[in-house]
Amino acid sequence: MTAGGGIVSGDGAGGAGAAPSIGSALLRVGLALAVLFGGIGAGMGYWQVVEAQSLSTDPGNPLVQAAARNAPRGRILDVNGEVVAFNERGSSGERLRRYPFPAMTPVLGYQSMRFGTSGLERAYDAELTGLKPLGPGRDMMRKFLTDPYDPSDLHLSIDVRLQAAAASALGGDRGSVVAIEPATGRVLALVSNPTFDANRLVDPAGGADYLESLRGERSTPLLNRATQGRFVPGSVFKIVTATAGLGSGAIDPSTTYPTDEEYESGFLVEGFTIRDSPRSFQRDRPLDFFEATEVSSNIWFAHAALDTGADELLAWSERFGFGAALDFDLPTAASQVTGGDGPLSGFTDRVELANAAYGQGETLVTPLQMALVAACVANDGVMMRPHLVDRLESEDGRVQTVGSSELRTVMGAPDAEDITQAMVLAVEGEFGQVFAGSAKVQDATTAGKSGSAQVGETGRPHSWFIGFAPAEEPRIAIAVIVERAGFGSEVAVPMAGDLMSLYLDSAE
Amino acid sequence: MLLALMGVALFAGWVSLASQQAGRMTIGDPAIPVIYVGILFAIHLAFVLTGRRMDQVLLPVTGMLGSLSLLLMARLPQGLAGLSLGGLDLGLAPLQLLWLSLALAVLAILAVAVRNDNWLREYKYTWAAVGIGLLLLVFVLPPAGAERIDAPRLSLRIGPITGQPSELLKVILVVFLAGYLAENRTLLARTSTRLGPVSLPPVPYLLPMLAMWGVALAIVIVQRDLGAALLFFTVFLTLLYVATRRFAYVVLGMAMFLVGATVLYQLFPHVRVRVDIWLDPWADPLGAGYQVIRGLYAFGRGGILGTGLGAGLPAVGDTPAIPAIHTDFVFAALAEELGMLGGLAIVALYAVIAERGLRIAARAADDFRALLAVGLTLVIVIQAALIIGGNLKLVPLTGITLPFISYGGSSLLANAIVIGLLLALSDRGVEPPPPPSSARRFRLPSRTPA
Repeated sequence: MTAGGGIVSGDGAGGAGAAPSIGSALLRVGLALAVLFGGIGAGMGYWQVVEAQSLSTDPGNPLVQAAARNAPRGRILDVNGEVVAFNERGSSGERLRRYPFPAMTPVLGYQSMRFGTSGLERAYDAELTGLKPLGPGRDMMRKFLTDPYDPSDLHLSIDVRLQAAAASALGGDRGSVVAIEPATGRVLALVSNPTFDANRLVDPAGGADYLESLRGERSTPLLNRATQGRFVPGSVFKIVTATAGLGSGAIDPSTTYPTDEEYESGFLVEGFTIRDSPRSFQRDRPLDFFEATEVSSNIWFAHAALDTGADELLAWSERFGFGAALDFDLPTAASQVTGGDGPLSGFTDRVELANAAYGQGETLVTPLQMALVAACVANDGVMMRPHLVDRLESEDGRVQTVGSSELRTVMGAPDAEDITQAMVLAVEGEFGQVFAGSAKVQDATTAGKSGSAQVGETGRPHSWFIGFAPAEEPRIAIAVIVERAGFGSEVAVPMAGDLMSLYLDSAE
Repeated sequence: MLLALMGVALFAGWVSLASQQAGRMTIGDPAIPVIYVGILFAIHLAFVLTGRRMDQVLLPVTGMLGSLSLLLMARLPQGLAGLSLGGLDLGLAPLQLLWLSLALAVLAILAVAVRNDNWLREYKYTWAAVGIGLLLLVFVLPPAGAERIDAPRLSLRIGPITGQPSELLKVILVVFLAGYLAENRTLLARTSTRLGPVSLPPVPYLLPMLAMWGVALAIVIVQRDLGAALLFFTVFLTLLYVATRRFAYVVLGMAMFLVGATVLYQLFPHVRVRVDIWLDPWADPLGAGYQVIRGLYAFGRGGILGTGLGAGLPAVGDTPAIPAIHTDFVFAALAEELGMLGGLAIVALYAVIAERGLRIAARAADDFRALLAVGLTLVIVIQAALIIGGNLKLVPLTGITLPFISYGGSSLLANAIVIGLLLALSDRGVEPPPPPSSARRFRLPSRTPA
């Protein structure tokens, strides 16, 4: 009756012929299943512990969307405690977001039931709605609370007076101003002009029509020029070229260009002639780095870039953040030195490389990127992560401070010092005054570089200035661009001087 | 004893859920848990009275999974399923209770009534034919439910009831494989044919099995039911390994799988969509990837401890937050409300089934019973792993059910048959198997498939 025998025992298997025993195979199947269950456990751990927070605060999460409708939302305040975003009850009782300062739109964005969120309202949505609690352990506590939300107020580093002053200085012109505290990376102003009225956009009644009209606007008010506008930089890019040249060792501050011959006929690069104008500032001998920066010699910087080489120029600009989106609270466009598909490490030829040296090749930059370049030189070559939020405060008094963090050391302190000295000459020197003297801040040594970026063959250039003050102990670094407004010295330079003065005066 | 524990867990869950929904302490309407626990105890009593010495763990574990199912179904919008029986409109939870009761009855009847296995082992080819016939019926009869052309053709409608034949097919497949492998495993394990570096058993012995597998797989692919295809294939490979202990078969099978998967990916858009969603659901967050992403949100919201029964967000009003939440995404819904710890506990329940099943196989009186027990166990465990893995984006999502938890009659009935047979196999008082017919091992199989 039991001739089949036990499968587990070797006897049974042996009795059945050459077939192997099933028992040990079962053990392996069991082990395989154990591994399978382990994998499932690991998967659960990944989604429910590691990724839980980011999943729960994802803007697509229905819970987040429900919170946007129902939850109280934290306010946003500027550095002096001025409220720049708050809640109001709409006509039908729904919660409406209000924005008292129109100039703040490029920073704040909007929060609308219909169009979702943008700007800081998007970046800090989870904190504002309180889905992401400030204190550790609050997550667990919340399960026992009737009110699951714990909204926080945002306290910004932005000074709304500086922001508004910059916006009104731009007036009807298109352009952007970005100001940063060099030692910390705190953003003091971030202006894009023209912008739009976020109050009208979030209004349930006319919002959709308003958005439609904004979309059709030729001045592109929906574009945040400060972070996503890409402009030809012109001579302000010479600061990047100088950093690459000095940093790579290809040049030093005493390196002199050009030759006598080039004064007369221009510097010929593969059939393309680079000239300096106005000639009257050119001395009758070759220029060193300081003099070349003071008079903004294109020939000198073209030589410097060619000696530095395409690879080094690209590598050093990448240290500034070129070539990738910047690590920032708002979405940013990547700045570029070249269009990127030529045979010379991306440059089409030496002509393009020479032109890039003074920001006229295929070079395109965001105002935020150029403000960071200025701030980095000001901070002894160390770039701080730019940020808009100083701290978060929840209703029950919990505070979370957003500290300053170093992004990287872009250049050595001696190089930063040389460049600073050159930039001071460019504002305060005998010849520099003529270009950028109006950027000078009363009672403070001012460093800077103006630019007049040619766009296309005709028309007025973009008016640029980047700089910082006071040069010894910099407290504000700034980038100003006014589109198609004329030479740097005409528009951007005095505007930057006024804004830096305003900030330094008001802070005292 | 374990049943009593399970009953306590169900009542605790029920009170917690009812209180959460009502916003105050209440026991809600206790009819559903009372009926359910009553049925379980009745079954246990039947086992004891008939003097069966069966596995003591499988029934409580199955009962616990069913309890979780009832808790979840009571919590979801009741309109997700509906059936009118003589003027009595049943919603999701009562319907699931009805199916669970039927399934438990089938389980009990099988466990008690099956005293010998000849009707399974002797008629394996008949079973295979029945299985294939069942599948073909789907094509002959009008499809049930959605009339979309690209929708999976899984359902069979008989009167007011629709069923999914592939659920039953998986049991039949295991019966056939167990029978065939038990009879021929000695030969399959021997090396007879060499194909380059690969050693194969005599081809005639492989053919019927491959044919059965190929036909089943082909039909499943035509039905667009990837989950069942994956399940069949995994169970097939594992059984082959257990019967022959030749890892080369597994490697060969995996290679065949990879080739087949690549070809299917190239040829069939529905396969491609499934795989693409798996790789990056965020590529199309509001379209193809919607379901998976919503599932992941649920996991994330659950965290370690979960939101608590009834406090999650599986539905906004009457719209489930995850499409197919009551069938394909039950695990995500439970993991949201019970957290990672609860989810792990559910996984552990399936692990217990695996352990008990393998133990029953190890104790089995002969090859057929051992292979049958392994196969039946795998059918449940692998199916659970596939859909849980799909929910967790570990493997491509397929539309198979989570055994004993997902809503649906076919799935519950088929899985009840599996557990019922396992219980019967575990009974020490069951009839001994027929003596092996040693003569048969040395001649070709007397039966060949049509």
